[in-house]
Amino acid sequence: MSARAASAAVAVIGLGIAGYLTAVHFAGGTPACAVAHGCATVQQSKYAELAGVPVALLGLLGYAGVLASLARDGESARTVTAFLSLAGFGFSGWLTYVEVARLDAICSWCVASAVCMTLLAVLSVARAGL
Amino acid sequence: MLTSRNRRLLAAAALAAVVVAVAAVTSSSGGQPAATIAKSTLFRGIPEQHGVLGDPRAPVTVTEYVDLQCPVCAAAARETLPTLVRDYVRTGKAKLDVRTLSFIGPDSQRAARFAAGAAEQGRLWPFLEAFYASQGQENSGYVTDEHLRSVAAAAGVDAGTALEYADSAAAQEPLNRANADAQRLGIDSTPTFTVARGDAEPHVLPAHEARSVAAAIDAELGR
Repeated sequence: MSARAASAAVAVIGLGIAGYLTAVHFAGGTPACAVAHGCATVQQSKYAELAGVPVALLGLLGYAGVLASLARDGESARTVTAFLSLAGFGFSGWLTYVEVARLDAICSWCVASAVCMTLLAVLSVARAGL
Repeated sequence: MLTSRNRRLLAAAALAAVVVAVAAVTSSSGGQPAATIAKSTLFRGIPEQHGVLGDPRAPVTVTEYVDLQCPVCAAAARETLPTLVRDYVRTGKAKLDVRTLSFIGPDSQRAARFAAGAAEQGRLWPFLEAFYASQGQENSGYVTDEHLRSVAAAAGVDAGTALEYADSAAAQEPLNRANADAQRLGIDSTPTFTVARGDAEPHVLPAHEARSVAAAIDAELGR
């Protein structure tokens, strides 16, 4: 499998995860701070939004952008994929640090998305520069 | 010598680093406790005994399970409690009790122990309201003695006495009771309300919006 195809597969998985988290964010339901499950704590924290925009939605847009950039195989498209993946990787790293060090709550869906972003960063850097 | 590809990649990485740094700084901003805490009149004139707000003879007891660091509990204090107090507590139909859980972290525990001291002074509910109004970033260590003193001042609590109580062994008892009751009733999130008529076994409510709690109280009153 080429790096491009592998990236597309990972981005589709990430798109699904971010889509689920975005749906949860907007569906609401009865919010609560749960004893055993970190997702509610993370989603209710101030870090769940960036300048009023849900981070889950930012993730959704990020994965969609990665997928769109993978549609072409030129130098510019590869650079855009690398930029989006590295930005997503960095921001996912920041959010994982926040979960562990500041909120003391781990959201398994968020960790899964961070893994996707890490894979995308590795694949896109390999594709763009090596 | 860098190739054109590598220069592009470096530029993308640098731009990504800038974007992430800006995002991290933006998401970190805010979240500090309120500098001044406004005094409230929500509970004015309502009797409080042993942490229970309202007429002790009220037929229905509403118990709220909270973690003082939980932002949803703060929202419930703003959005649910005023209706309950106005329509059910002030009218003598229900009394409000609370169980302070502390699963979010050490700040929750410190706040809950101080709350026990406020309860000893018959000022638990004003303290809870003032604490929620000054919630800081979870587990940031913001529940300092200084912070508790400012909350106590807004709530009419003698801070020195409450701090002394918070450091005593007795302050742990309400926390133990809250944990035991929550475990017994299968309560694993906050805020959770229970409703009971008299000494009957409480019903755990699935939602904490004012209309849901009001409906449950009405159902108990109609029995």
